[in-house]
Amino acid sequence: MSLWVDKYRPTSLGKLDYHKDQASQLKNLVQCGDFPHLLVYGPSGAGKKTRIMCLLRELYGAGVEKLRIEHQTIVAPSKKKIEINTIASNYHLEVNASDAGNQDRVVIQELIKTVAQSQQIQSSTQREFKVVLLTEVDRLTKDAQHALRRTMEKYMSTCRLILCSNSTSRVIGPIRSRCLAIRVPLPSTEEVCNVLTSVCKKEGLLLPPELAKQISEKSGRNLRKALLMCEACRVQQYPFSADQDVPETDWEVYLRETANAIVSQQSPQRLLEVRARLYELLTHCIPPDIIMKGLVTELLRNCDGQLKTEVSHMAAYYEHRLQLGNKAIYHLEAFTAKFMAMYKKFMEDGLEAMMF
Amino acid sequence: MNKLSMGDKAASSRVNHWVDPSFSDLTGESFSLPGRRKGLCSQAESKRPRKRKGAESRSDPHISALLKELAHRDQDEPWVDRYSPCSQTELAVHKKKIEEVENWMRTHTNASKGGILLLTGPSGCGKTATVQVLSQELGLRIQEWVNPTNVEPYSSSQQEWRTNGMSCSSQQAQFQDFLLRANKYSCLRMAGDDGATDRKLILVEELPNQFYRHPSNLHDNLRRFVKTSRCPLVFIVSDSLSGDSSSRLLFPRDIQEELDISCISFNPVAPTTMMKVLTRISTLEAGKSCGRMCVPDKSVLEMLCSGSSGDIRSAVNSLQFSSLPDTSLEKDLWRLKKDRPVASASKTVSRTTQRKRKSKQTKEQEEEQAIGGKDASLFLFRALGKILHCKRRNHEDVEAADVAPAPALPSHLCHHHRETLLVDPELVVERSHMSGEFFNLYLHQNYLDFFSQVEDVARASEYLSDADLLTSDWTSRSTMQEYGSSVATRGLLHSNSQQVCVGFRPLHKPNWLLISKRHRENCLAAQSLFRNFCLAPVSLQTELLPYLAKLTNPMRNQAQIAFIQDVGYMSLRSFSSRLKLEALTDKEPGQLETDGEEEEQKDEGQGGAEDGLPASQPQPTTNPALLEEELIIEEYDSD
Repeated sequence: MSLWVDKYRPTSLGKLDYHKDQASQLKNLVQCGDFPHLLVYGPSGAGKKTRIMCLLRELYGAGVEKLRIEHQTIVAPSKKKIEINTIASNYHLEVNASDAGNQDRVVIQELIKTVAQSQQIQSSTQREFKVVLLTEVDRLTKDAQHALRRTMEKYMSTCRLILCSNSTSRVIGPIRSRCLAIRVPLPSTEEVCNVLTSVCKKEGLLLPPELAKQISEKSGRNLRKALLMCEACRVQQYPFSADQDVPETDWEVYLRETANAIVSQQSPQRLLEVRARLYELLTHCIPPDIIMKGLVTELLRNCDGQLKTEVSHMAAYYEHRLQLGNKAIYHLEAFTAKFMAMYKKFMEDGLEAMMF
Repeated sequence: MNKLSMGDKAASSRVNHWVDPSFSDLTGESFSLPGRRKGLCSQAESKRPRKRKGAESRSDPHISALLKELAHRDQDEPWVDRYSPCSQTELAVHKKKIEEVENWMRTHTNASKGGILLLTGPSGCGKTATVQVLSQELGLRIQEWVNPTNVEPYSSSQQEWRTNGMSCSSQQAQFQDFLLRANKYSCLRMAGDDGATDRKLILVEELPNQFYRHPSNLHDNLRRFVKTSRCPLVFIVSDSLSGDSSSRLLFPRDIQEELDISCISFNPVAPTTMMKVLTRISTLEAGKSCGRMCVPDKSVLEMLCSGSSGDIRSAVNSLQFSSLPDTSLEKDLWRLKKDRPVASASKTVSRTTQRKRKSKQTKEQEEEQAIGGKDASLFLFRALGKILHCKRRNHEDVEAADVAPAPALPSHLCHHHRETLLVDPELVVERSHMSGEFFNLYLHQNYLDFFSQVEDVARASEYLSDADLLTSDWTSRSTMQEYGSSVATRGLLHSNSQQVCVGFRPLHKPNWLLISKRHRENCLAAQSLFRNFCLAPVSLQTELLPYLAKLTNPMRNQAQIAFIQDVGYMSLRSFSSRLKLEALTDKEPGQLETDGEEEEQKDEGQGGAEDGLPASQPQPTTNPALLEEELIIEEYDSD
């Protein structure tokens, strides 16, 4: 039994549930024959990967769905062995090069080279190019991105690249200009609701529209999350009730409690407790930047309008440092301490103003 | 350099006249038995040191024959030996410590069953001397283990083997034999022996090297010893600051408890005690030499004293060296320093009452020391304490001092005013024998306990964040590291505006390294276990895994289930369920074993996905510094 997310994933461009005109444009693109490199971007859970897989199926037929997970070892010029997982079919190769960390440049060059150097056997019936799908391009190092630029041009005849990223801002200009950029926006609330209802129908369940709406709002229109939430609701209680609690992830609840702890008291001891909680979040695989983002969102709810700008400014400042720096806890803690000081001062000022 | 020192004492002293020492122009008669710990001179002073080994003491007539020569050469005997303490009062060790050791020795020699005592402390703090003096007073013979020097290549097997008719066994086996024999048999009674005692004490100051590699062998030996022990066994192990604490390695806590080893740790010799000893020696020497010797004045003694950082052996040695009769070499050495002591001596008059400040000044100047300066070093515990407790000069002190006050800050900067620091942060970090980054981690773990105001904490944490930023780039890290630690330490010191006296606070080891390692390992495990979901790491970790924990989907294998149980769920009740604070104890070196390499691996990855070793794989235990370097080089090559 697989997850609903995987079970009801549309497999062809025609079956996509939303952004239908974009789907038809993609279809046209495939039929035109000439196929440029693509840069597919959009927020997480918008359906980028789904769309790309549909596109590949449109290109090559059902053969692309025979996936195999491979473990490849690449030897860097410095004799260091890099191990990386790839997902491949006969026609395409998917790789998340940022898994290799600093060595992503080598991975990209070697993998693309091996794919591109082998010609398709029957070019008469098949496309004459293979596709390399690179995910999380925005996490690639600058070095790797420049290498990618050269490789793109070199193997244009036998290989097309589909790049997948959350935003284009960290993708260098030369790559952006070499690709056809396709933005996949988040589905609207209604679209999410429709998908949820149809999935439930296929499962033989009845989803009250109120609950669907609640789920889609809670999920932040992230369709993957919405489906997971819906499935969790099903586990929690069936038949659904309209005012049922939508289960949130533990770490989100934990983070909210942490934010409440920060707001309720500002003292070095409390900061020490908060630090322990941050550590706990980190050990549960929550990336530091997500922690930072979540913390700010929760804290801002407790802030006065005037404080909000300051807090978000501080958050941006420390989030930047988080990216540059080495040890996340310094910056997370510095932000927390700063917020505490700010909030305390604000409350004291407010109190004074009330007194006089 | 002197081969003759190996020979018989009398012979060598005679021979010494036939051979003209090639360095005679340097220091008159500096050629004689430098290494032997034998009292050559039993004349003159009443404070004759007792010999280390009672069995070696000679009868008087023998020595009197040599008196004439000895009068010459007694100035060549190391003062450390000549003035080695012979009674408790002369020991430069705190009375309580002596008492402690004495009690132990009393209880364990009178009982039929022996015990094991472990003495630790920095080198030159009087551990051996204490044992010597006490055993002499208690009438104990000392039987000491000396590592045998094997000419034959060392055989790793413990069996004996024969070459050229000589039997040779491993040091380890010999040590075992030694313990057995020393324990079982009492000493032979010799004719010349005055000692009426056959009680003895086994002393081990050096251990066969093998034990450092496999401490368990030592533990086995000791277990066997404890079962049958009849006499006390004393181990003397010097503390080292360079990270690998041998006492910790050789005698871990559990072994100490198992074998009932009592442990007494010595502190460095206090400056006042050291001054007393140095003054005594120098006055005695001055009286004896009748002006032939240049006797250092008080300020010089103080400098020697502060420069030796509590090592009395090195202090006495450098005292002897500095008061050698005129040589050109020696003149030069002193000229370097002459101007300074004079300057301070003129001040001395004005501030005889302020001994504290003076001693501090000399402490600051110890870098200038030309002779006998020992590298001062601090244990991590104390180094952290120095930064965190933030000692500043008292207000009264400042007013009493005749120093012109620094120009006051303008009014809008007044809140930045702080009293003068009593510590030099850079020096503290340097002496902690730790890289700035690790020191910062330790500071970060502990600083919150020392702050009372949130505003101060906010500033302090910002400085720590700055420091991390400075050292973030690996290409420039080696240069920036010092700046980073400087920013962090000084930032912490400055931002602690409310100097509260917090008293003793326990210090803890940093959690971050463990946490970041777990984070990395869990992320890797997540990716490898749930690979078939084909998700990007971030969405896998923040969306899929937490919901998988809430779903009833059957997992494929046990590992996935266990992982979900572990990582997917979060306990919302307790504050920190898994986080255990590990207290940093006194004299403990920083834990650097695996940390360095983890750091490096963390740096390699840009975001959530880094390469590293999964938990199941054995972690390499190479020297962290070495590994770090290797990795950096690799990165450089590939770029």
